[in-house]
Amino acid sequence: MKNPIQLSPKEMINAYMLFFVVHGAQVGVGIQGFQRIIYQEARQDAWISVLLAGIATHIVAFCMIKTLEIYGSNDLYGIQQDIYGKWMGNFLNAMYVFYCFVAFFSVLRNYIEVIQAWIFPSIGTWFLSATLLIIIIYAFTGGLRVIVGVSFFSVILSLWIIPMLAFPLKYSSVDSLFPILENDIRSILKGAHSMTFTIIGFEILNVFYPFVKDKKNIRKPVHLGLLFSTFIYLSVMLVSITYYSEGKLVKTIWATLTLFSFISFPFIERFEFVAVCFWMLIIIPNLCLYLWAAYRGVIRLVNIRGTTFVWIFSCFVFIATLIIQTRTQINTINTIFGHTAFYVVFVYPILLWLLAILKKNFRLKKVQKNEQT
Amino acid sequence: MQFKLPFNKKQPPSVEEAPKEKENLVRVAIATDHFIQSIKNATNNPADLIIKTIPPNLTLFYIDKLVDNQTLNNDIIANLQNKPHDTPNSIEAALSVPEVVISSLLKEAIDGIVNGSVVIHVGGFPQVLLVNIANRESRALAAPENESQVIGTQVGFNESLSTNISVIRRYIVCPDLCNEKLKIGTRTNTSVALLYMNGIANNQMVNTLRQRITDLHLDELLDSAVLSEMIDDNSLSVFPQMLLTERPDRFCDAILDGKIGIIVDGSSLAIICPQSFTEFFQSQEDQNLRWQIATFVRLLRLAAFFLSVYLTPFYVAALTFHYEVIPQAFLVPLSESRALVPFPPIFEALLLEFIIELLREAGARLPTKIGQTIGIVGGIVIGTAAVQAGITSNILLIIIALSALASFTSPSYMMGNVIRLIRFPIIILAGFWGFYGIMLAFCFILIHLLRQTSLGAPYLSPFYPPRMKEMRDSIIRMPIPLTAKRPALTRAKDKNKFEPEPVKPEKS
Repeated sequence: MKNPIQLSPKEMINAYMLFFVVHGAQVGVGIQGFQRIIYQEARQDAWISVLLAGIATHIVAFCMIKTLEIYGSNDLYGIQQDIYGKWMGNFLNAMYVFYCFVAFFSVLRNYIEVIQAWIFPSIGTWFLSATLLIIIIYAFTGGLRVIVGVSFFSVILSLWIIPMLAFPLKYSSVDSLFPILENDIRSILKGAHSMTFTIIGFEILNVFYPFVKDKKNIRKPVHLGLLFSTFIYLSVMLVSITYYSEGKLVKTIWATLTLFSFISFPFIERFEFVAVCFWMLIIIPNLCLYLWAAYRGVIRLVNIRGTTFVWIFSCFVFIATLIIQTRTQINTINTIFGHTAFYVVFVYPILLWLLAILKKNFRLKKVQKNEQT
Repeated sequence: MQFKLPFNKKQPPSVEEAPKEKENLVRVAIATDHFIQSIKNATNNPADLIIKTIPPNLTLFYIDKLVDNQTLNNDIIANLQNKPHDTPNSIEAALSVPEVVISSLLKEAIDGIVNGSVVIHVGGFPQVLLVNIANRESRALAAPENESQVIGTQVGFNESLSTNISVIRRYIVCPDLCNEKLKIGTRTNTSVALLYMNGIANNQMVNTLRQRITDLHLDELLDSAVLSEMIDDNSLSVFPQMLLTERPDRFCDAILDGKIGIIVDGSSLAIICPQSFTEFFQSQEDQNLRWQIATFVRLLRLAAFFLSVYLTPFYVAALTFHYEVIPQAFLVPLSESRALVPFPPIFEALLLEFIIELLREAGARLPTKIGQTIGIVGGIVIGTAAVQAGITSNILLIIIALSALASFTSPSYMMGNVIRLIRFPIIILAGFWGFYGIMLAFCFILIHLLRQTSLGAPYLSPFYPPRMKEMRDSIIRMPIPLTAKRPALTRAKDKNKFEPEPVKPEKS
């Protein structure tokens, strides 16, 4: 077991904060328009797909925690270095950092697109990208405590959005849900697969684990966080299916935001203008956590200071947001990223768990052999 | 993460230090004439230096009005005049004054004169007596003018350090109350008292604070507000991280919570730290009111904070970019009131905010009587005239007045200033980028607050890190039996204020 991470208690975070970290990392841009993609596959059974995807997250999180527990106080990067050796491990670490980079970029680019589509059609991409990056840099340089704090406030301060789902319920009909299980299991599973882009984020656990103070109590907050996310996705999906007519949902790109546009109060109308801007608070933990995960990987490869890293990283992201401009390009990136993320988040951790068990047994036998001779 | 301003840095040892050290060791002259000359030289022969000779060989030096005349006449001069005295020791025995020191150093004699001691030189001896009978002029204790409250004590600190400490000792009758004296300022030599409860306050925090104060290399220290800015965790932040209060009851309450207090001689404001952001919106009166009412008032203040910071930007953003969010019924009165206004909303809002700030500043600087007149003239005449002249809309006038009013509900004047100041950048952001700009500012402020610490303790406590039990006494106030714990912010040694008992609503 090499490269364990040694930390002083002051740098560590209480286990229950993982609820906010996991949930904050999961919910982001995906929820603004995930209904269409899943509905295309699973039709009115889309909510079953969401449920299945939610269950899958629990299984994967279970495997992740099991893997991490074998190594005590180490993150994914250290585990990979241990299992695959220095060269192969470092290569995979670099790939994982790249994955974090793409995830960061994808969240940022999607949010910028939403702002341009809904509020300011003519505002420059460079401006939105630069301002958001500055906020993220400011949070990142504050350290892990600030990043977790942002996740916490992001979850708490956006709780008031959930009751807003009650407004469209007035116009929805339960009949749209029937007949249940009309679509075959394949298309439902396909729908669940399409949930990947929306539901990922909890893989941050792989990097976060060594920073948790009481590692024994980690399961409860993690699974509660996942459960809460699944609950939110499920309720949004149910409201969307019952609210939209059959053909409408296939054509609506940001179905959640369209839901909000019907909400009106005596003092404010067209609620989605507020919601789209408020979403900034929801995506900031996404961005911060991916950035931080990338940083944890990079310092295993090269010796670099946090401030230097964050500026270089932001420059790359900034340039990338300028290159990727059209809706088609963004959609392609989302699809490719979704497919890759499926293997990185849902398949690879199980594989890694098996490898870690094998390695552990192998090592035990070796020790026993040494003792016998 | 502590930011150090340049003046906090250690100064390089100056060249003059060597001769100064020699000066410190100069002894008192034996001959009376010689001694008088050296005192006159050292103090630049001030007009109020009084030198009185009592035959055969005694000479008294003191500064007029700095010593208590009655004590001087009755207890010193009367005792010395009638009998012959030989040695400094016999004189000390003859004086009926408690604080007498015998010294042989010239430096100590000079410091004594400046501090309000009578120096008695005995001709023929290389020693002097320093008799401390200092009499500092100070005003009587009065009601706190800037932190008034309806229910509660009506006494505020004054400018005398010893009076303030005696007031605190009257509230906390306990030998555990520690009082450390420090001196700051090479020229002002200001006394600073560090007060905390032994057995409650965290030692590490006390050490950190003491270290921060002694590390300061200042020429002058005239007020505690300056000191608080210098020893803040982040001196560059607009948010104060230490509370300034002129209320002894608030000060004592904080000290009993495990906080550390600082009182500066000559300043009527005491410093309390560590302090969390939420506590700036709490008033001591909240403890005296029934808990339901206190909760209501605290929530009102929180609402006022958000209203004050975000209402005007919201108006600017909605009218500049997002007409869609304005409800239909509201659209007509709004457009009617704005029909004549020639300016864009951002300019209109900035102009009015500027006028309100002018009124506030004028009101604060002018004498009280004229200040009221100016308030009426400004409020009514300028407000009405501005609307009739068509340079601003009625509705914006209401919004601006409301947010100005709301900013004054903050019990801490320092925090009220912050609220008024951070509104301006947010209005500008709202005027250029609408709701996006407002949200950008909101996130920035949130992250900024998360980054701050007060004496190393998290600034946003008890919300982050979340401590459910402490939230009972944060933006709400639960009944006193439920708030038995001291705030974790202070990392108190004794965590409970009293044994938490099950609440019995009706006592038998």
